[in-house]
Amino acid sequence: CPGLTVPCRMTQACHRKCVPPHYKEAELSKGESVCLDRCVAKYLEVHERMGKKLTELSLQDEELLKRMQQGTGTA
Amino acid sequence: MAAVPPSSASGGPEPPPPPLQYSLLLQHLVGEQRRPRAWDPAALGGIPSPPKSEEQKMVERAMESCAFKAALACVGGFVLGGAFGIFTAGIDTNVGFDPKDPYRTPTAKEVLKDMGQRGISYAKNFAIVGAMFSCTECVVESYRGKSDWKNSVISGCITGGAIGFRAGLKAGVIGCGGFAAFSAAIDYYLR
Repeated sequence: CPGLTVPCRMTQACHRKCVPPHYKEAELSKGESVCLDRCVAKYLEVHERMGKKLTELSLQDEELLKRMQQGTGTA
Repeated sequence: MAAVPPSSASGGPEPPPPPLQYSLLLQHLVGEQRRPRAWDPAALGGIPSPPKSEEQKMVERAMESCAFKAALACVGGFVLGGAFGIFTAGIDTNVGFDPKDPYRTPTAKEVLKDMGQRGISYAKNFAIVGAMFSCTECVVESYRGKSDWKNSVISGCITGGAIGFRAGLKAGVIGCGGFAAFSAAIDYYLR
């Protein structure tokens, strides 16, 4: 996956989970296509929530650091 | 997780660079203020293919739906049942039996009428069974999200059980087991 882009990683992850290595026919079966739909939806939702949580955590970290610096500055 | 800014103990003429605010950066990368991207399908799959039109997508979605598969099985079952009924009517004749004259051959009209009746009756049965089996198999496969042998066994049990249940619980259980085994055998042969 060059650059580890989101769609590339998502394709690899969902292919590993939803498409077993049985290649009797070329078309995706109903079960596999349903699984892929769900996999993509879950992946994107997880990505969104993790992004929000990460920004929240880094904001908390920075507040803490700022307070620490102000504390050492005045002291 | 935030960057540690360099302390101002250097005392030189240059002011220290402002601390890197990772939270702002993250907001622009993965948080709320990220720019929406249009994913280029050519770059995603790696194999460029012409984009499908909306109508094509709709038609493909309809052809893959459970209702269409059930309707297809219904029509196929009807045709197969009709052929089967006509064929067995030709083999196993019990028409036109006259107690006074047991060796009387049935007339062509009687034979044709019997063939028609048996054909229609078998056709209806096969159509209903086929539609039920196909519908339940599609629903089970959509629910599980996998495609393996268990789907046909489960739907065979449901179909056989529903058919046999009208004659009592024991017949339902036997129907479930029998139909499940039959569809497992067909599936094994086909895979």
